[in-house]
Amino acid sequence: MQILCILLFSSICLIGPGRALARHVAGTTAGMKRVEITGTVKDTNGQPLAGATVKSKHGPQATSTDANGNFKLNVTGANPILVVSSVGYLTKEVPLDANTSFVEIVLSPDQTELAQVSVVGYGTQRKRDITGSVKTLKSEELNKGIINSPQELLQGKVSGVNVTSATGEPGGAQSITIRGPGGIRTNSTPLFVVDGLPLDNSGTGGTGDPLAFINPADIETFDVLKDASATAIYGARGANGVVIITTKKGKAGTSMAEFGASVGFSTIARPIDVYSADEFRTKVVESGGTLDDKGADTDWMKEVTRTARTENYNLGLRGGSNKLTYYASFGAQKQQGILKKNSMDRYSGRFNATQKLLDDRLVIEANLNVTNTRNERPPITTLIGDALANNPTYAPRDANGAPATFTSMNNPLLNLELDKDITTITRVIGNITPSVTIIKGLVYKLNFGIDRSDGHRDVEALPFVQPARDGRLETFNTYNRNTLIENYLTYNTAWSKHNISALAGHSYQKIFLQGRNYSINKLPIIPIDPIYNPGVGTELTLANNRPGGYAVNSELQSYFGRVTYQYDDKYLLTVNFRADGSTKFGGNNKYGYFPSFSLGWKISEEAFMANSIFNTLKLRAGWGITGNQEIPPRQTQELFVSSTGAGFSYPLYPTGVYPSGIVYNRLANPNLQWEESRQTDIGLDYSLWNGELSGSIDVFSKTSTNILMLVNPADPIQPAVTGYTNVKDMEIVNKGLEFDIDYRKRSNFGVTFNVGGNFTYIRNEVRNSPYSIIPSGSAQGSGLTSATINGYLNGEPIGTFYLLQWTGIDDNGLSTFFDRDKDGIITDKDRMPMGTALPKVLYSFYGGASWKGFDLNVNFNGTGGNKVYDNTANSFFYKAKIAKNVNTTAAANEFPNESINNPARVSSRYLKNASYLRLNNATLGYQFNPGQLGIGKWVKGLRLAVTGQNLFVITDYDGFDPEVNIDRQIDNVYSYGVDYLSYPKARTVIFSLNVTF
Amino acid sequence: MVFATATINSCTKLNETVLDEYSPSGLTDKQVAEGLIAPVYAKLEDIFLHTNYLALQEISTDEGILPYRGGTDWGDNGIYISLHQHETTSTDPNVRNTWNHITVAISRALTAITGLKDNKDPSAPLFIAEARAMRAYYNMMLLDLFGLAFQKEDPNEMSKVLRGEEAVAYIQSELEAVEPVLEPAAAGPGRLTRPGVWGLLARLHLNAAVYRNRYGSFDFKKEDMDKVVEYCDKIISSGNYQLAAEYFSIFDDDNHTNKELIFAVDQRADLAGHNRMAYFTLSGDQWPLATNTNANGTDGPAITPDFYQTWAGAYAPVDPADADPRFFKQNMSIYSNPADSCVDADEYEINRGILRGQQYGVRKVGGVFVKCASGKYKVDKLVHDSRSKPDLPVNFTLQVDFSVAGSNYNTGYRISKYEFSKTTVNGRDFGEHDIVILRLADVYLMRAEAKLRRGDAASTALDDVNTIRAARTARIVAPPLASIDLDLLFRERGFELYWECVRRTDMIRFGKYEGTWTEKTNADPKKRVFPIPQTAIDGASNIPGYLTQNDGY
Repeated sequence: MQILCILLFSSICLIGPGRALARHVAGTTAGMKRVEITGTVKDTNGQPLAGATVKSKHGPQATSTDANGNFKLNVTGANPILVVSSVGYLTKEVPLDANTSFVEIVLSPDQTELAQVSVVGYGTQRKRDITGSVKTLKSEELNKGIINSPQELLQGKVSGVNVTSATGEPGGAQSITIRGPGGIRTNSTPLFVVDGLPLDNSGTGGTGDPLAFINPADIETFDVLKDASATAIYGARGANGVVIITTKKGKAGTSMAEFGASVGFSTIARPIDVYSADEFRTKVVESGGTLDDKGADTDWMKEVTRTARTENYNLGLRGGSNKLTYYASFGAQKQQGILKKNSMDRYSGRFNATQKLLDDRLVIEANLNVTNTRNERPPITTLIGDALANNPTYAPRDANGAPATFTSMNNPLLNLELDKDITTITRVIGNITPSVTIIKGLVYKLNFGIDRSDGHRDVEALPFVQPARDGRLETFNTYNRNTLIENYLTYNTAWSKHNISALAGHSYQKIFLQGRNYSINKLPIIPIDPIYNPGVGTELTLANNRPGGYAVNSELQSYFGRVTYQYDDKYLLTVNFRADGSTKFGGNNKYGYFPSFSLGWKISEEAFMANSIFNTLKLRAGWGITGNQEIPPRQTQELFVSSTGAGFSYPLYPTGVYPSGIVYNRLANPNLQWEESRQTDIGLDYSLWNGELSGSIDVFSKTSTNILMLVNPADPIQPAVTGYTNVKDMEIVNKGLEFDIDYRKRSNFGVTFNVGGNFTYIRNEVRNSPYSIIPSGSAQGSGLTSATINGYLNGEPIGTFYLLQWTGIDDNGLSTFFDRDKDGIITDKDRMPMGTALPKVLYSFYGGASWKGFDLNVNFNGTGGNKVYDNTANSFFYKAKIAKNVNTTAAANEFPNESINNPARVSSRYLKNASYLRLNNATLGYQFNPGQLGIGKWVKGLRLAVTGQNLFVITDYDGFDPEVNIDRQIDNVYSYGVDYLSYPKARTVIFSLNVTF
Repeated sequence: MVFATATINSCTKLNETVLDEYSPSGLTDKQVAEGLIAPVYAKLEDIFLHTNYLALQEISTDEGILPYRGGTDWGDNGIYISLHQHETTSTDPNVRNTWNHITVAISRALTAITGLKDNKDPSAPLFIAEARAMRAYYNMMLLDLFGLAFQKEDPNEMSKVLRGEEAVAYIQSELEAVEPVLEPAAAGPGRLTRPGVWGLLARLHLNAAVYRNRYGSFDFKKEDMDKVVEYCDKIISSGNYQLAAEYFSIFDDDNHTNKELIFAVDQRADLAGHNRMAYFTLSGDQWPLATNTNANGTDGPAITPDFYQTWAGAYAPVDPADADPRFFKQNMSIYSNPADSCVDADEYEINRGILRGQQYGVRKVGGVFVKCASGKYKVDKLVHDSRSKPDLPVNFTLQVDFSVAGSNYNTGYRISKYEFSKTTVNGRDFGEHDIVILRLADVYLMRAEAKLRRGDAASTALDDVNTIRAARTARIVAPPLASIDLDLLFRERGFELYWECVRRTDMIRFGKYEGTWTEKTNADPKKRVFPIPQTAIDGASNIPGYLTQNDGY
């Protein structure tokens, strides 16, 4: 009891400044007089603040403000002190005179991240109360410029999150991993949750990114849940981290419209330096080839690229009254790729509404998003390959301006006219979430959502006379449907210094994916496009045009719960639990159980910190288990296939139909289960000097076990060569350190500036793999068939390059390699680990300043310790090529004594350093003062800005860009860091206008 | 209302519903019986793909060499060079693919054997016998390539790994057990018959000495040779089979009805048969079909000069093309009559056999074939148009090796043994010729060899060899041999059976596999078997000692 008293005393001491003690003593001696206080709470703009907490500093009394910011509270004591807090605002203490009965309190906004509210899955928490590793990013903090897919908004913004914007293609799929890959299969993508609806990471048709439907202008916040104590609430889908996207909502008492327009111009940022026509003439002869000179001087890369223009328009409406708030938006984006005939158009509409009924006991939120995207793609690898390799002395066009045709070389301009790939996707995502306050503190919430996308893709190769092409049209239709229903209860209560909130719920999600495809061959040369009338095709055979399709259903049923407990606003405990059952799991392992525990200690609230520079200092420690269930469906079930197709049937009799062959394709595997990941995280959140400096530090260790893999069974006599299995003892370990820092200051001269950055160190390691080597990254290009680039083995990270070590050119002009096993010959056994594609270090830093109406922001990001395999150089830029009148870079001719028959084997010769530092974006803006312009009556804000994107990259890499990842998976084992004819990145300048009414 | 919605779907048993796949049910016994036996045979086509069994059996010998063509093609991470130099490693994808196809085929045979046990269809006993015979054949392939066989009678139990004598005895007992049940003869060579099993038993006994003591010197036992002769006698005296007068008819598109074939892969274009046997070695600028601008060769493997010298040496000073009908058949008259340079599409046909020197045919320029003014196809000297090398003629040279010059697109004599399929869509797919596994000439040659090995009078073996030579009467007739010994018989097997997937087995049996030929000097007898694929070794790594890697790898 005595100890408790001391705790109580000291807690009061440290919250307030030194005077508090005296007042406290006064209060206790003055007896227990009750006084009713009324008042209003407003923000610095004079707007009332609803939901602000008002409590008595000494007693247990507490209340919150109503929609008009009003409150009423009975307090005791002679000189009571009110503690007023509201999310996003600095907490204020208001001492009251003995006779005061009405106060007007103004709260000023808290600029530090710790003041924010984070969405943590099935609820929100104040960042200062969170015990897991969670990073919240507001829309204004996101990357600026033209983004190819929403993941790029996050690039460099969150420590521990590696966004590899692997392609410069509009809408192209990007890769994102949180705290390193925890499996070897293709799916290390985090779970994305949009307004409470978990998305399925399946493609929605075409080749683009599944998140391409989101209009970045609609995004209010990203919450990145990194450690297991944060993600365990998502159970079997939490192992790769969770990214929660919250879209903009309306606000009571406001009415505003925002209009934004921008136009951007993009050009290829770093073209590959192949020989010009003149250099080519010299080098072909020099290398010993016979020059094939057609006299022209063509830059083939220029022929296939362009200055791309991107226009973007957004109109957002926000507003609301006490009972109804809404946000509505319409966006139109027309984005051109820097390759000709490449574009991504997106039209999106969103409507979010919140309505309060039954005296605010029933709150209904509804979100609806409709997006239509149209993606037009030329044959990208053909264009780039030809642009790099084509003889620059050939003229691209004939006398009539039509693409020239060559006997022995392909003209990419012809492909631009004849080949197209158009994908149109319509996606509707909506959810409705009514919540009912049953009794005070107890809220029941239902979340019903649906995500439906229809994709339609036409791949067309038009016929041509010379070179003769028959033409073919293929159509792929994709239908995805993701349905969610969730019921959960939350209960919040506080007494004395205890604060408990509890959550319990059930979730059922069903994902249905279907695809169909059709084709027709031998198109005629006619003035209309056969896409509009496929019936003009003249050949339809089962051998060439057999329709295809697939349909899979998967279901996930979950029970989840969370308890958070706070004692004295200092000691925090969070316990999460989820049980996930999945149709993808075997009968013996239907449910997985995923708990997490985490503790927090707000050191800054302790007495001994009373006069410290820290506003917040919070130590967090957490441990939890999460899972990864992303495997193809049906893997647990046995399958017979009956087919008259090749490989199944065989003619048993001289004539007659072939029998339908019955083949076991798969054996039942009732033991199949999720991958399990155990993660420990220790972190420190800090904010000091009144929030001028803030940030966090985390160390983590994540160990994945039960690694899911396609493996060969021990007994080779099996119906199928490989099957999915959990490899029991194998582990993939990610250990790392994350560091975030932000400093912001308003100087006396009206200048506000901020600088900051983050740093991540991750070490990934494969352990106890029973396999001598797990190959991945199949090389591409003629002469390279069957060679592999990545290889995963014990003691080395995922993404390791497992290669022959190239040691130079011998006297015969041939490559030599390190004979690792000393057997005198160079074989696959001489390969060795030569570094990894996973960066050891990720970092980013930024700076911003504003003065009067001007603001300037720059943002850099980079990686260190990672390598890239230049498969493009391996299959294009070597001496034999230039000797055959195929264009190369100077690197191909680096060794004068190299033989023109020296094979370009897959080896460390083409392994390059991929570290880089990029000026990701820089924005200069000016905020006009509408009043001064005389339009203040109608216009609230007017801003003009210019943004430069990808302004420079410092790197040793001589390909298009070091940030690249063309997946060359083998048996569903993902490859990392392979560059093969990747889509070049653009350098972009964007001019934008934003008007607020 | 809210609670009502909440209870919908709220509990599920999470049983997976599969929408796009099904396991067939409600089939008749006949459908099941045929459905189970067909896939056992259907795997043959995959095994006999050019890069699988054919590459392993031919590129590893003097009959085949595949350099890194022009520094651009068939580099394939050096696997074909390693294969030729006997430096193949356990990660070789062709070794792995061949292994995987064969092991899956054995599993299919086991599925058929177990699935047919209670089948009431009258054909079920026959199909069980065929499945067992095919399982023995596939195991014989594994034994020959990898030095082991798998015995598995219950799908739920682990296979027993057999090596050496144990493996030979198992395969022999299986073949002997089913022989009486099989059909005495079939309408075509596509299924295993009693004579087919006789042939396989003859082959097994002929090679048994190798299989029993792989790395030593071979002891060809008299009782084995007696069995070879006995089984070959049975086939020959059955009267079911007949040596073809035109040697190349054995490899034509319509060879399914050829009386010489005993056992073959019955390919059909509408079952996606392949044309890889015909297309593999041809030049990428050879267009064997006048109606198809997509069907060409691959600039693939050639025969070694050493193998060519066995022909040239045998008939010198006469050119082998003029001495032996098996060496060459001219189908394009421009070779002998240069004025004949315009032909109709249906008369356009490339030569067969071993292709040497300048090649003629239609040229594809700007995506279309060049035609004469008459509208016929212009047959011309071929050049490497598709390689941007219009100055490099498609002129197959004797010399081919791994040097710069020796690896050029045009080096080495090529094989045009199988007819280039008329139904292929791209040169590779939709072929229809049967791929020969066992034919009568091989039976004569096996009998001759067994007779020599057990010490019969050489004349009896010579009769068998000369019977074959005398039977090819359609064009020129090869002169009879005057004498025979094992070396001459080995040479004769090369003349008769080149590029028929038996060379490696022959070279090992005749003790020639450790010899030296173009770009090959490795004499390590451990290379008589291939490595077990690393994936299989890794897969079995949780059961120590179960599947051990072959010595020397």
